[in-house]
Amino acid sequence: MIVLKRVSKVYPPDVHGLRDLSLHIKPGEFVSIVGTSGAGKTTLAKLLIAEERPTRGTIEIGGWDITNIKQREVPLLRRQIGVIFQDFKLLQKKTVWENVAFALEVAGETRRRIYDVVPHVLKIVGLDQKAHRFPQQLSGGEQQRVVIARSLVHRPKILLADEPTGNLDTMNTREIIDVLKKINSFGSTVVLVTHNREVVNALRQRVITLAEGRVISDQAEGKYLLPS
Amino acid sequence: MMIITSTGRIIAFAWKNFTRNAWIGLATIVVLVLSTLSVNILLGVNAVSDSALHRLEDKIDVSVYFLPETPPVILDSARAYMASLPQTKEIDLLSSDQALNDFKERHKNDPKILTALGELDKNPLGASIIIKAKTTADYPFLVEALQNPQFANYVESKTYDDNAAAIQRVQQISQSARYFGIMLIAIFTIFSILIVYNSIRIAIYTQREELGIMRLVGAGTAFVRLPLILSGVLQAILALLITALIVMTAIAFLDPKLRSLFDGGDSGLQGYFLINAWPLIGIQSAAIILLVALSSWAAAGKYLKK
Repeated sequence: MIVLKRVSKVYPPDVHGLRDLSLHIKPGEFVSIVGTSGAGKTTLAKLLIAEERPTRGTIEIGGWDITNIKQREVPLLRRQIGVIFQDFKLLQKKTVWENVAFALEVAGETRRRIYDVVPHVLKIVGLDQKAHRFPQQLSGGEQQRVVIARSLVHRPKILLADEPTGNLDTMNTREIIDVLKKINSFGSTVVLVTHNREVVNALRQRVITLAEGRVISDQAEGKYLLPS
Repeated sequence: MMIITSTGRIIAFAWKNFTRNAWIGLATIVVLVLSTLSVNILLGVNAVSDSALHRLEDKIDVSVYFLPETPPVILDSARAYMASLPQTKEIDLLSSDQALNDFKERHKNDPKILTALGELDKNPLGASIIIKAKTTADYPFLVEALQNPQFANYVESKTYDDNAAAIQRVQQISQSARYFGIMLIAIFTIFSILIVYNSIRIAIYTQREELGIMRLVGAGTAFVRLPLILSGVLQAILALLITALIVMTAIAFLDPKLRSLFDGGDSGLQGYFLINAWPLIGIQSAAIILLVALSSWAAAGKYLKK
């Protein structure tokens, strides 16, 4: 599903984001990627959605070599990967419904399909009653659930969550992780980039630990190994 | 089908962008109105000064006075020759009898002059022709043409020599005024372009995060760029309508006031905008819409690379 072979990312003049990193994530896995600041977690996330290109090595997603993906192909890739960020990245001037529908509209989906899919995904994340609110009228946890709903509209095989609980309290964090587990149970691969020890330890899933751009640990039912 | 759906959505996004970013849009509209207005004010000032100069130029003529004994055939040939020149705009022949009648009419309340005139055996006034040139630059040529040996010996005097300096001065002023007007309009147009481009850039800069999010959820270049360009075009159309309204109101208010300065004659302001209405609307609309569209296209491009 996700294959990285000897990937390095160097930012000029000589800052190493990733060093010779190789990974293989199978379909349907729930993988946590952990590491301290500067370990290369965000660089890895950016490479997976083609926001950055690797300096060396190859990246394949679902059999598609995206190492040197063309700019015009990037929207197609992003419709296949659901992305969730710590800072939500919602369109503030659009309602919850419009934010979710937007991902379908830009893909040229029909009105009928939009009216079919949007209420469905909003129901999955429990926001069907708040469809016509604007993001600033929602709590942090609710905003993150809107992002998750938006990322689900294309039924992505992969869901990439980069620090999704970084801005949330314990209660909301648990809610978000439950939603991610639910999505994983439907068959989607979930890649969770986090430094939240409790979340990682509670999941009891595969944990890949990064340090200085390298994989220092890869455990099938891992724990958060790094010191606090 | 997908193209129709996508086009419809791009227009809908543009409309939402236009209405939901009303305050940023208002700032852009104000800049657009001020820019187009400044160009129109200069065009109006130029039209009025042009009209004033034309009136001044119209007052200039050359009067050629012939000796009283000049035979009518010479007068007719002089008139025909001067009228045949392409530089002549208008020519009037005043016979010696008409000249005497005019003189008497002018001095009808001055019995001394009329008595002195009565004591003379014959009409002391000669005929004259009054020539108006097409442009002030043509006068030296027409004066030169009066040296024609067919009638030059019968010419007693001509007024051009007295007015030559004044004519030259008017000519210089009108040339400088027109040149200065064109320069000023060109400079203001360049300033307007720069101001409009930067205001569009600022408006799009405030939306940079949104553009990034659109890309993140899989929006193609057209879906990000075209709504911005279209909403910019909507702002431009609104700005043009506001400018047209202000210009029309200003003309209706100013033209009667300016007429009094022109002795009740045409100030040139209303006439200029009426005669050139369609070219002015067409050129300004095309320029502003093109400028806004290109500015939006260029400014949005910066945020489409990620």
